Amino acid sequence: MWKYLIEKEFKQFFRDPMLPRIVIVFPVIMMLVFPFAANMEVRNINLVVVDNDRTDVSAELIEKCTESGYFRLKKVCSDPREAQAMMDKNTVDAILTIEQGFSRSIVTGESFPVGIKVNTVNGTKGSIGSQYLSNCIMLFMQSRTDTPAVTQAQGETIEASPKYMYNPYMDYKVFMVPALIVIAVTMVTGFFPALNIVGEKEAGTIEQMNVSPISKTAFIVCKMIPYWVITFFMLGMCLLIAWLVFGYVCKGSLWGVVLFTVLHIMVTAGLGLLISNYSDNAQQAMFIMMFFVLIFMLMSGVFTPVSSMPEWAQIITYANPLRYYADAMRSIFLKGSSIADVWQDAAGLLAIGGGALTWAICSYRKTS
Amino acid sequence: MENAIEIHNLTKKFGDFTAVDNISFTVRKGEIFGFLGANGAGKTTAMRILCGLSIPTSGGGTVAGYDIVREPEKIKRHIGYMSQKFSLYPDLKVWENIRLFGGIYGLSDKEIASRTRDILSGLGMEDVRNSFVDSLPLGWKQKLSFSIAMIHNPRIVFLDEPTGGVDPETRRRFWELIYEATSGGVTVFVTTHYMDEAEYCDSVSIMVDGRIEALDSPAALKEKYGAENMDAVFRMLAGRAKRGE
Repeated sequence: MWKYLIEKEFKQFFRDPMLPRIVIVFPVIMMLVFPFAANMEVRNINLVVVDNDRTDVSAELIEKCTESGYFRLKKVCSDPREAQAMMDKNTVDAILTIEQGFSRSIVTGESFPVGIKVNTVNGTKGSIGSQYLSNCIMLFMQSRTDTPAVTQAQGETIEASPKYMYNPYMDYKVFMVPALIVIAVTMVTGFFPALNIVGEKEAGTIEQMNVSPISKTAFIVCKMIPYWVITFFMLGMCLLIAWLVFGYVCKGSLWGVVLFTVLHIMVTAGLGLLISNYSDNAQQAMFIMMFFVLIFMLMSGVFTPVSSMPEWAQIITYANPLRYYADAMRSIFLKGSSIADVWQDAAGLLAIGGGALTWAICSYRKTS
Repeated sequence: MENAIEIHNLTKKFGDFTAVDNISFTVRKGEIFGFLGANGAGKTTAMRILCGLSIPTSGGGTVAGYDIVREPEKIKRHIGYMSQKFSLYPDLKVWENIRLFGGIYGLSDKEIASRTRDILSGLGMEDVRNSFVDSLPLGWKQKLSFSIAMIHNPRIVFLDEPTGGVDPETRRRFWELIYEATSGGVTVFVTTHYMDEAEYCDSVSIMVDGRIEALDSPAALKEKYGAENMDAVFRMLAGRAKRGE
């Protein structure tokens, strides 16, 4: 019985005018375009400096900041109101204020009068900009304290130098590659089968299946199988592109990637089925999916780290399967984590997947 | 087993709406049972209950000897069903549809091959074996649907408005198929809007507003209502309907 149903699903899949193409084009586009486009690196921050010190030292600091490449020096002025006016008009993103006595305080080691003010209308640009700016000042200070002119009397300076592990150059692309695989797998395994089942509802063919002795589990599982096969084909393609185009290889075991993909498929299959059970036509299904896709993506840590969300939002992410899958994929792919290291993610996926599948099978009825 | 279908006091409610209102009837083995009624009279709902697609609110009965409430999955092995909405897979070829449904009803590859030959030669459709079902004319699709509903030699076959939208000649040929099937002993339960088709049935029930208003052979019904044909009988009874479409 199963053989005939699986045969049917494969034939229908490959005869569909769109699906086979989407499955190939979608991951390729995602892998080739998104890592470049969805880039969180911030450059070209417009900077105005209010320099009330006007010494060689302050000039050196300004130079230090501009040569970092992140800032574009718009103006050096001495009136803070002028600088504020420029920020109000949105022509600058950050104001660096160097107060009088800056060069002297450097030598004496007093707390030095430097102020940073950033425009956070664009929050990311603002927060990253202020970090860059304080980094520049810190580097400058260090370089100054190293010069022999400074006496050691001020004692030890506290040194804090960040070291970026597993992604030493802060390359956003390598960070995005595992996340994009997560998105592609979610789309293909969750939404295609759901639309397929809703399609059979609309066509009325599902009724013909419901009057047959075929069990609901058989019908559903046979529907899913082709999408599972296709998912692994797609996963292979994504990993291949990551290697060929970006030169990234998975640091951990590929079996870990496969295992987590299987677990995630269980979750998306359950969710897809739930959606198809509760919607009567493709439009309804599409809208429900849009709703979940947005929440899942934005609250998964794929784009923004979960740890920087407010606490209540962090709690919500525990119900988001993408959180676990994305975390596991990144750990395995970038860090080379073993399955034992990310067992919490596996547990999370198992719990959500088990729940969703059980609910889906219970709510699918052959009879009304 | 004397009767193919025995139904007692069957009722189906959707909220406040009573789609099927306390109907009882029996269908003898091997007969053609015509299930008539205007749109919205509750025919399809009643038929879906008999096929195990819908659970009755109250009442019950047996189909092919199995209880419609407790054993719907057993019923499904022994019935064929052809729905009003044409329900073969349009993106599968003719032979692929036959193979799929043969497989679903547990036929082996060998049985499927021989059944496919029989069906295609019986319908004179050998030439379109490799055509997509989508490309066939409606009349052909309906005949193919019927043959596929019969692929596992069911005891009862349910036909929900099987001949909607085709010309009289095609309808006549479809009924030849039905007669052929009953000569093999199968019971046919058919809903239709065409009163000339009602004349072909052994028994006819007429549903009005969820109830069965009349149930007898066409000849007896015509005599009882003093009508010349089934069309007149139907108008007389269906004209009493209070429910709209």
